[in-house]
Amino acid sequence: MKEKAYYLKNALFHPFEAFYEIRFRDKGSLPLAAIILVIYGIIQCITKQYTGFVINTNNLAEMNSVSVFISSIMLVIIFTVANWTITTLFGGKGDMEAIFTVITYSLVPYIFTKLLVVFLSNFIIEEEAMIIYMLEGIGIVWFVFLAFSGLCVIHEYGMFKNIASLLATAVSAFLIVFLAVLFLTLEEKMFGFLSDIIREFIRRM
Amino acid sequence: MVRGYKQKTIGQKIKLMTGSFLIASSLLCAGQMSTVAYAADGTSFVYEGYIYDDYGNTLESPAAFSYERQIDSSNLEGMSFQSVDDVCTSEDGRIFLTDKLSGRVNVFNEDGELLKSIKTIWNKEGTIQLDANGNQVTLQAPEGCYVHDKTGEIYIADPGGEQVVVLDLEDYSYIRVITRPDNMTGTTQFKPSKVAVDDANRIFLVVQSSYEGIIELASDGTFIGYYGVNNPKVNLVEYFWKSIATDEQKKQMSKTFAPAFNNIAVDGDGFVMAVTYDSAATDMIFRLNAKGSNVIREEGNTKLIGDLGEDQSAFVDIAVTDYGIYAVLDKTKGRVFIYDFDGELLNAFGSLGNLKGQLQTPTGIAWLGDKLIVTDSTLKCAYILTPSEFGQAIINGSREYYFGNWDEALTYFEQAVRLNSNYEVAYTGIGKNYLMKNEYESALYYFKQGNNRTYYSKAYYGYRGQQMKKHFGIIATVFVALIVLLFYSEIRYNRKNRRKA
Repeated sequence: MKEKAYYLKNALFHPFEAFYEIRFRDKGSLPLAAIILVIYGIIQCITKQYTGFVINTNNLAEMNSVSVFISSIMLVIIFTVANWTITTLFGGKGDMEAIFTVITYSLVPYIFTKLLVVFLSNFIIEEEAMIIYMLEGIGIVWFVFLAFSGLCVIHEYGMFKNIASLLATAVSAFLIVFLAVLFLTLEEKMFGFLSDIIREFIRRM
Repeated sequence: MVRGYKQKTIGQKIKLMTGSFLIASSLLCAGQMSTVAYAADGTSFVYEGYIYDDYGNTLESPAAFSYERQIDSSNLEGMSFQSVDDVCTSEDGRIFLTDKLSGRVNVFNEDGELLKSIKTIWNKEGTIQLDANGNQVTLQAPEGCYVHDKTGEIYIADPGGEQVVVLDLEDYSYIRVITRPDNMTGTTQFKPSKVAVDDANRIFLVVQSSYEGIIELASDGTFIGYYGVNNPKVNLVEYFWKSIATDEQKKQMSKTFAPAFNNIAVDGDGFVMAVTYDSAATDMIFRLNAKGSNVIREEGNTKLIGDLGEDQSAFVDIAVTDYGIYAVLDKTKGRVFIYDFDGELLNAFGSLGNLKGQLQTPTGIAWLGDKLIVTDSTLKCAYILTPSEFGQAIINGSREYYFGNWDEALTYFEQAVRLNSNYEVAYTGIGKNYLMKNEYESALYYFKQGNNRTYYSKAYYGYRGQQMKKHFGIIATVFVALIVLLFYSEIRYNRKNRRKA
């Protein structure tokens, strides 16, 4: 476990080496990745709720932390599935576990900057908001770089092929969401229909 | 959130029914006693007020004004209104209603008694004024009026006669007539429909659907120039096609003209305020500086566009008080929007309909002290609206704040909050007063209640400085300690590495 934590730390600063080890020498840890994902979901809730009033434009009266948590986690999971479906077709070497690990490990610097941002945003005025946004930007750029290089390594892709696969991932993620919505709507209608019939049946008895 | 058609609750229905019953009974009384009868208790129509919160949601609110009475043809002593196109008031409480179709300006006192009906212009000597050609000077189709209390003049814009008639405010006698200046340029026709005069006696004329701007005249009636910038919205698709079209194709395309101004007023600081209802305009309400650009403050929760929903508000008139509160009249839904000098929506109320107090074709709005006068050309009447308890509180609060009387303003805003605890503006108002008194902690609390981030940020700046000063010892110690720690760890790290090497 200690070794695996070491590779998590290593991945933040030497992504190419560390993600290679994680993918091909089994140095990644799925439980660790899952924990990071949960922390990420919680951080999103914290961001919505506790960002300083000056730059927090969310209507807190209407905030639902469960839906924020689930939607932010689902985003990662859908990306993982979509990327896996695409890369298996395009000869990527990474399995689903590797993709999931890469994405969650890459989220770590984003989580830390986000924490810092939420804390500092309580002590700023409007004119200083720029600094906060910049700090957040650093976290995002770091995350994108880690995720991108990690995906390159685990799939053994070049840069352009990786970009192409990411675009395809976006399309397939959209399709997944679309089908899910379609399915849920149908399910709901079906359920409504059945419950109507049952109710009718009971009334006529 | 779209404030569309609202389902009426049973309570409201009862309210409306009692309202119409009162109208009916008052009409009956009028028939029997053959005098003017009002539903004097003001319950003939109860406005439903609302405001928008910071997230654009509609919040119910008491209306700031309630219907008091109306001036209609029955006040005209035998004559009748053909239409009512504009209203202006003088400082001593006289009400001037222009009637375009019958070509008259009717003057009433505060109680609605007819003082004078101006049609033919008489001069000081008591004879009919003749113009250079020997014709009588009369009002053809007066559409706008403006009382200039400073010089004791009343300006009547008469697009039918292509003239602006200036009369004495005391005895309504002839002073002068302004016709098209010889040095006027441009394609705009001289058909002034609205007029305003600023502190320097410059005359501003609005010509409906003139894309060149407001006509600015010197006090002697010579042409200075076109005034005011009204930017059209840029349509991206149109922009794209125009950018690739040849010159010949461009000639055949429709031109994008600057939207016209539709009405003007002059505020307490001598700035010209204007409104437009052209949906192509980017701004709807203007406060024009000497250069003619818009310097209106837009610090409120919403943009200055009236209703936020699908149906765009169309502002036909604006009335400004000396302390910066302005009321704009919307003809899309017959609403009156009241903004303070910061551009904060204080209240919105009113609707289209047939009940007494509702509007059909709103044309003009003016302040009469703290009261509002709203005119309607289809109903051919002018409503006089008095501020409700709630409205009086917010008007007084804004006024006292504007003049820097923080303590009085505070009491009024607290009263407003008591009457409507959802009222963000009053919370912000309370906060502003605490901010002005450098009581930052209370200010922060109230700005949070009022959802005002700009002012919260301002208050926080002061609060932070205060705290820094107060705890300077601790902060400095921590800071120094951190630096020492940094140096210490650096030195230790280097020593360790040297030993290794």
